[in-house]
Amino acid sequence: MAERVTQLPMASAPLDPLLVEGGRTDCVLGNEAIVRGALEAGVAFACGYPGTPSSEVTDSFARLSAAHGVIFEYSVNEKIALEMAFAASLAGARSIVAMKHLGLMSAGDPLSTIPYVGVEAGMVIVSAGDPSCHTSPNEQDQRHLGPMLHLPVLDPSTAQEALDMTRFAFELSEACRLPVILRPTARVCHSRATVTFGPLQPSKIGGFQRNPSRYTPIPFNARRMRLEIEDRLKTATALLAEWGALRCEGQGRSVVLASGAPAAVCADLIAEAEGATQVAVWTLRAVYPLVEEALVQRLREVDRVLVVEELSAYLEDAVSAICSRHGLTIEILGKRSGHLPLAFEYTPRHVQQALHDALGVGSAPSEERPPAQVTPRPPVLCPSCGHRAAYLAARAAFDDDQLYFNDIGCYTLGYGPPLNTVDALLCMGAGFTLAAGVSRVTGKRTVGFLGDSTFFHSGMPALFNAVKERVNMVAVILDNQVTAMTGFQTSPGTQHPASIEAVVRALGVEQVETVDPFELPTAVAAFRRARDAEGLSVVIAKRPCPVHDRRQHPEQAVTLYRVDQARCGHCGQEDEGRRCGQSPNEAFARSLARAASSQTREVSCQGPGVAPCTLRCPLSLCIQGYATNIAAGHYENALEHILSRTSLPESVCRVCDRPCEDVCVRKKSGGAVAINDLKRFVVSKTQGRSQRPFPEPLPKNGMRVAVVGAGPAGLSASHSLALRGYSVTLFDARDRPGGLLAWAIPSYRLPQAALERDIARILEAGVRFEGNTALGRDVTLDGLFEQGFDAVYLAVGAARSRRLELEGAEAPGAPKVTYALAYLEEIHTRAGAETRSQISRAAIQTRRAEAPPPSRVGSGQAVVIGGGNAAIDVARTLLRQGADGVSLACVEAREDMPALPEEIQGAEEEGIAIHTGVRPLRLEAGAIVCVPITGAGPELRLNATEVVLAIGQEPVLEGLACRGAPLARTDDGLLSVDPQTGRTSAARVYAGGDLVAGLRTVTGAMGWGLRGAWGIDLDLRGQVVADRLTPPSLQSDAAEAERWAEAFSVPAEQRQEHAELEGERRRRTYAEVAQVLSEAEAQAEAGRCLGCGLCGNCSVCIDVTGCPAIKLEEGRVTIDAVLCTGCGVCTTVCPNQAIVPVLTGSGVL
Amino acid sequence: MSAGGRGDRQQLLLAGVGGQGVLTTAKILGDAAHRQGLHVVVGEMHGMSQRGGSVTCTVILGGRRTSFLTGPPDTFVGFEPLETMRTLHLLGPETRGLVSTGSVSPVELTRTGAEYPSLEGLVEKIHAVAPLLRTLDGPQLAEREGSPWSLNVLLLGALAGLGELPFSAEVLYGAVEKRCSPRSLEDNERAYRAGLAWAKAQSASTGRGVEHG
Repeated sequence: MAERVTQLPMASAPLDPLLVEGGRTDCVLGNEAIVRGALEAGVAFACGYPGTPSSEVTDSFARLSAAHGVIFEYSVNEKIALEMAFAASLAGARSIVAMKHLGLMSAGDPLSTIPYVGVEAGMVIVSAGDPSCHTSPNEQDQRHLGPMLHLPVLDPSTAQEALDMTRFAFELSEACRLPVILRPTARVCHSRATVTFGPLQPSKIGGFQRNPSRYTPIPFNARRMRLEIEDRLKTATALLAEWGALRCEGQGRSVVLASGAPAAVCADLIAEAEGATQVAVWTLRAVYPLVEEALVQRLREVDRVLVVEELSAYLEDAVSAICSRHGLTIEILGKRSGHLPLAFEYTPRHVQQALHDALGVGSAPSEERPPAQVTPRPPVLCPSCGHRAAYLAARAAFDDDQLYFNDIGCYTLGYGPPLNTVDALLCMGAGFTLAAGVSRVTGKRTVGFLGDSTFFHSGMPALFNAVKERVNMVAVILDNQVTAMTGFQTSPGTQHPASIEAVVRALGVEQVETVDPFELPTAVAAFRRARDAEGLSVVIAKRPCPVHDRRQHPEQAVTLYRVDQARCGHCGQEDEGRRCGQSPNEAFARSLARAASSQTREVSCQGPGVAPCTLRCPLSLCIQGYATNIAAGHYENALEHILSRTSLPESVCRVCDRPCEDVCVRKKSGGAVAINDLKRFVVSKTQGRSQRPFPEPLPKNGMRVAVVGAGPAGLSASHSLALRGYSVTLFDARDRPGGLLAWAIPSYRLPQAALERDIARILEAGVRFEGNTALGRDVTLDGLFEQGFDAVYLAVGAARSRRLELEGAEAPGAPKVTYALAYLEEIHTRAGAETRSQISRAAIQTRRAEAPPPSRVGSGQAVVIGGGNAAIDVARTLLRQGADGVSLACVEAREDMPALPEEIQGAEEEGIAIHTGVRPLRLEAGAIVCVPITGAGPELRLNATEVVLAIGQEPVLEGLACRGAPLARTDDGLLSVDPQTGRTSAARVYAGGDLVAGLRTVTGAMGWGLRGAWGIDLDLRGQVVADRLTPPSLQSDAAEAERWAEAFSVPAEQRQEHAELEGERRRRTYAEVAQVLSEAEAQAEAGRCLGCGLCGNCSVCIDVTGCPAIKLEEGRVTIDAVLCTGCGVCTTVCPNQAIVPVLTGSGVL
Repeated sequence: MSAGGRGDRQQLLLAGVGGQGVLTTAKILGDAAHRQGLHVVVGEMHGMSQRGGSVTCTVILGGRRTSFLTGPPDTFVGFEPLETMRTLHLLGPETRGLVSTGSVSPVELTRTGAEYPSLEGLVEKIHAVAPLLRTLDGPQLAEREGSPWSLNVLLLGALAGLGELPFSAEVLYGAVEKRCSPRSLEDNERAYRAGLAWAKAQSASTGRGVEHG
């Protein structure tokens, strides 16, 4: 217990400004003046927890403790700090502990007992107040702690006073054995002023003298101590009076009584008031205990007192009580009389007004000009802040309605848009407890955020509470390895290499992940796992504070970024007004999915403008849009992408010939993305789930359009016209809509129920269907215009089968010959008749799906002639109708067959023999004879009881005329139309589908329908209106798409193939052969999409990050070269790879 | 040395964006005043200003106890046009000083897709209230000197060059040196000289004499 005396610093060492010799003056901060005052009192121990506006007290000690020999620590929290300072005092070391006002409340337990035990060496508690809540959630009045806990409270009004008072406070504390609270407010803490220093004193440590009954407040001792307190306060009062706790300036019967910062305001105003004033200014420098005797003595001489104090009417009430006790009838004015505001910091205007109104001093302040309306500029997370990236990752992983609870620190800046990660906030550590409490009563899985310093401060007990109660929540620790908000103080986790993860695990948390938030895709994946887990999950997002890091390592090179305007905000389709309309978060999800596939797979070149698949799609579908939404699990959004251009999603996802997959850049690396399977997955996954109609039809425009022919082209045109606000009547020769989809494509490929859902959606959009109405027979073009239609869309298709007369057809026993369409229609009609007699709809669906319609062929051998999809459809249908054997013969070589490869393969798998390169020659009894197309080689005799010819169809155009003129035709005998609009030679008559030249596919026909609807709208209402729903682009050069496929180099990753039905059930029933991908398969497959096209619906970098370095200039997104500090997170966020590095330099601030 | 005949009592107001060096500038002015032997109070009510928020500081020279402005400041330094607009109601027809016209777009503006208001319009509004304020493109000048992070020191140089302060350019530069990190000293010296040079060109073109520097 030897007394320790520290040496004053050597004169030769570079001197800290606060360690210069006494008598010097300097311009220092109020907080620094406090530190100097403590040093002049020989302080030996200093500690605290940083909190604005107190932080520079602890920061200054941190800086100079090594040089001066003061023992210092940033304590883990305020309670510990207070206890440490108390212990130091007991051990004979003058101690000072600093914190912000509300920090002292968290040390309430020790604070309330320390006065009982009493201190040994002087102990000063700096509790910095924050009137007007400049940087705090409340503006509590610390002065009340004086009477409440028997603690002397000193209230400085200037920096000089702060210095002098601190020095005195140690003497006071030691004399009365009570800790002394020094209560500077932010105005004093953060004003820098000329201050005169006194002499420094070396610090002394007396040592701890054992005396258990003196230091142990068990009730027996505590009762004795309670009475001792009264003696201590008496000592304090006497010393305060001697010191001059009440300082009086000037003379007069009117008095201004002030304390703290407002006392300085009063002094300045009265000094500058014009003319001599008969007003005295009394400054109460100690607000507890009050020097009552001195006050009463003075009060007897005056008539009126204006009390000028911020926050509460503490002094006003105390003075009123004193007057009442002493029978003084004096006017007491202030807050209670309405002369001064009840809340917030007092500006000179407030005080000037009160001096004028209450005491007639000076003039009332002149009228204040109102501030200009200027866009607010609240503090935001810095560029390169890891918290921003962590919030982005969390927002991408959780649903939009996820509840987030947050805490005190930089991460509070997640409040408000765009990050929106603060639903409630209270105090240090409550980020976890709020999340836990809400979770316990609502059962919802909540998210709580707090920082590393806060975790050690009070987050650990909060987390352990959640562990022990098995709370269903995700606790996120944002570890930037420094206490950044209050000025980059050392965090406990960096001072000591305590691993937060090890602490979390030791507390009993099993699901813990530590991620670098700058690795966005990885961080999102971690948050997703936490979202899907049960019970308590912890995610630690670890990334050094960029500002602190740069100060520590100024030499470190920084890569800055710029925006490549050629790639920013374009999708190649926006010139036509096409924007997908997805929300920023969806766009962000797309960006992340894109980042995931490109980062982990090292795409070696930048993508094309428009993705090749979209270029080739007859509907210009944004395939990467829905693929990336699937990868992100946003199925509704994926569906909206599909529905925005597809009237028949259920049909198209089953029968599309998928030109997109031909040009997919993945084709060479594991196979093209299974685009149609993805579409089918979404359609199936979201079936009946979407709550709102999408797209929503525009209001009726009063015009009528007749669409003739209810196949894919006609249905598509009708739907698009209805969405545009037209009243549409859809005519068809048959009794129900669908065309080929309804009566030619077999239901093992396209179940009727699926088609019916598509048609229902179209009819719900307001399309009226009139069946059994054939063009030429029941209606004519002229007749339709006479009926008042404003335009007509023709889509009657290619209804007539091409004929082939075969020799020997009349021979006895020769096989029966039919044509494909007639055959397929008959099967469909029979199936329809059969099922329409059933009662329940469910039964119908099951029946259609499972049972073969009544056999027409029965057993026997069938041969199909033709190499297209219709031929395959017929062959596979014949099999399902019960044929013993089916074979197919076509003129094309295998690789030239027009049928889809998987259809051919499917047919073979079902046992259908395919003979290529042959043409039919003649029929014989029980057989058809074919010969090689080359003419060389033997005849091929195929046993047959039935032959179906599937050699193509052509449109019926004879007699098609309008207003006396036939519609113009091409050389090929098809209708001649404008390929952009489908406009025919006749005014207001449009056409598409198989009537005209072009792709002879279902999807191709749908593209025609959409373009036709646009063409009609353009014609009837003009471009501006028509472009509200833009049509798909015409097919562009496939070569460009293929070039991109060549240019990309990505490691192979195998395509997910859909499952197929097997065995007898497949071969003999109409159950759908192709199965839907599972969710896991679909997500994996969607993840293979490189999103290689640009995305035009994009201000993602602005909308989701809120990074201050990203700004708009003349409508363009740019990056501020001075503000950018090169984190590169926005490069991951950008779906277009439009943010690129610029230069290497040092971004020193 | 008097500035504009106002004696040694002088109120300065600085307004800018957190990160532009407003607080450091206020500290430097406080140090310089102290070196000159003037009593000074500097208000640094910074709050969370380090995070790109609005920040204002006051420098009160000559005998006051508090850092509050009473009435319009004698001297104003606007580090940014919108922040100048935000404090415009505090300025007056006699307020002298500088407005740097380089803009820092508030995140809120960018987020809502709005553009930064036209500079001409802002300057017009500023001059309607405080016609004596001079404008300069601080960031561009600083960039030209290769020290885009020395905007605040450049503005101090300009302010000293214009003779708006009751201490010499040398005293002020001494205070700059004291607050600079050694590695940024060269940049800051260039920036300070660029500010002085700008002020000299100003007085040459307007015929108004530079009172010291």
